[in-house]
Amino acid sequence: MRSNIFMKDRVAIVGAGITTFMRRALETPRELAWEAAKMALDSAGLTLSDIDCVVIGSAPDTFDGMHLKGEYLGDGSGAINKPMTRVYVGGGTGVFVPESAYWHVASGVCKKVLVVAEEKMSPAHPHPQYVFKYIWDPIIERPLGPNLLWIFAMEMRRYMAKCGAKKEDIALVSVKNKRNALDHPAALTAANITVDDVLKSETLVWPVNLLDVSPVTDGAAALIMTSENVAREITDSPVWVDGIGFTLENQHWYNRELAFPRYLNYAARMAYKMAGIERPWKEIDVAEPYDPFDYKELHHIEGLMLARPCEAWKLVREGYFDRNGELPTSPSGGLLGVGNPIAAAGLMKVAELFWQLRYEAGKRQVKKPVHKAVANAWGDLMQAGTVIVLSN
Amino acid sequence: MSYDKRNRMEDLVIFPGEQEVEKYVYTPGIHGLEFAKGLKEGKILGMKCKDKIYVPPKTFCPDFTQGELIEINDEWILVSYTIVYQDMYKNNLPNPKIIGVIKPKNAETGLIHLLNVPLDKLEIGIKLKPVFKPENERNGTINDIKYFELS
Repeated sequence: MRSNIFMKDRVAIVGAGITTFMRRALETPRELAWEAAKMALDSAGLTLSDIDCVVIGSAPDTFDGMHLKGEYLGDGSGAINKPMTRVYVGGGTGVFVPESAYWHVASGVCKKVLVVAEEKMSPAHPHPQYVFKYIWDPIIERPLGPNLLWIFAMEMRRYMAKCGAKKEDIALVSVKNKRNALDHPAALTAANITVDDVLKSETLVWPVNLLDVSPVTDGAAALIMTSENVAREITDSPVWVDGIGFTLENQHWYNRELAFPRYLNYAARMAYKMAGIERPWKEIDVAEPYDPFDYKELHHIEGLMLARPCEAWKLVREGYFDRNGELPTSPSGGLLGVGNPIAAAGLMKVAELFWQLRYEAGKRQVKKPVHKAVANAWGDLMQAGTVIVLSN
Repeated sequence: MSYDKRNRMEDLVIFPGEQEVEKYVYTPGIHGLEFAKGLKEGKILGMKCKDKIYVPPKTFCPDFTQGELIEINDEWILVSYTIVYQDMYKNNLPNPKIIGVIKPKNAETGLIHLLNVPLDKLEIGIKLKPVFKPENERNGTINDIKYFELS
């Protein structure tokens, strides 16, 4: 079943690039963007003059410390004298950039789009965490001195209470993703750790410990997206964008269901409908759920309907989501292992699915044959869900 | 309604806010670092991309290829200028400052900087040269160049 959507062109991904994810990069944000964009162009055998539109994604200007960051990134993203769009839905941006590129191509407006996501979090001192202090309502919330981690701690606690998961079950996600990242050349926090290491790491905001959290990161990622005709000329193995979805849930995170991500579920249903997927838990072969925190991957696996609500943590214990498991999730290593340069992290996930669907992921290639894949990201005031479904 | 028109500021409940990012620490980038080192040595570096020259040097050329680092020894041309009489806080400056857009001859891009040129000689198209601070006062910033003057 495909929904009745008129598209001028079918949309393909034909190239991907990524910088090393790092802390305190010497490179300027536009240099990071250039490095990823150049790699994406090279991988598709294109040069900048072949590109007719550019879509840039980056989270708040306050991270890089440059106002009008989209324009600042213009030359490094190859956007000079070309139609350029910058999109921004907070942490959801990484997956929203290829979605935006999708309608650039599907509408027939652009044929070859360079898609770039960049984030450099280390310029903000003393810590980029402070940037998040000003997302709160200045009258009702800010006087309490809230910290972004409060949200995650309370969501995690609610998930644990409602689903009966323990901290050691959730820690398994961190162990899995950091281990997967050992095979990723761009990874910042790849490691062979144990559940015990996670439980014994510093408690930040109970129940969130240091190793439950993804790191502050600088980096960039890029894709080349084209119409079907162009894709067939460039490559024998294009990866198709089958569906996109995006939704915004209510403003106040504490007025939401904390144990189940509805913002994602609505977006996922939209994307699956477009892709003609009726039973995602059977039809999806590999997934990159957004994992800024370990419990968040479980949350998002359930929101993406790859497991029943409250059952993802049980399946993690069985190795169901391992790279050689039934439904590998975050084979890249995810945000926990590779790193979390906000917008670039989401696009890194889409790039990983591109490589997986082309069997180009090298040591990270999942064991089972792959045909359909899904990635998601999550952001804004923690209520924006973005989903993309790909196939080969 | 504008609250200051009600003339009762003392009745107003306000929620003062401040943003706690104290500062930003920007990095110069790969070729920006070379540019900064060059300034310290009294040199201005540029990037040669095929037959075009860009100042300051960038890590990537506009077509995404990479060029080579070169020292700029050409004379600089004044592209445009302005004379600044007030600072940001509306104080009159004792000595008005001349700011110019300057470009090395044969280069595609250039800089803005202070000019030390007599007003009667100030004209678009005049030839200029950089004057550096003494070596012990340089610290690898754009202000290592004191100003540009007639060459």
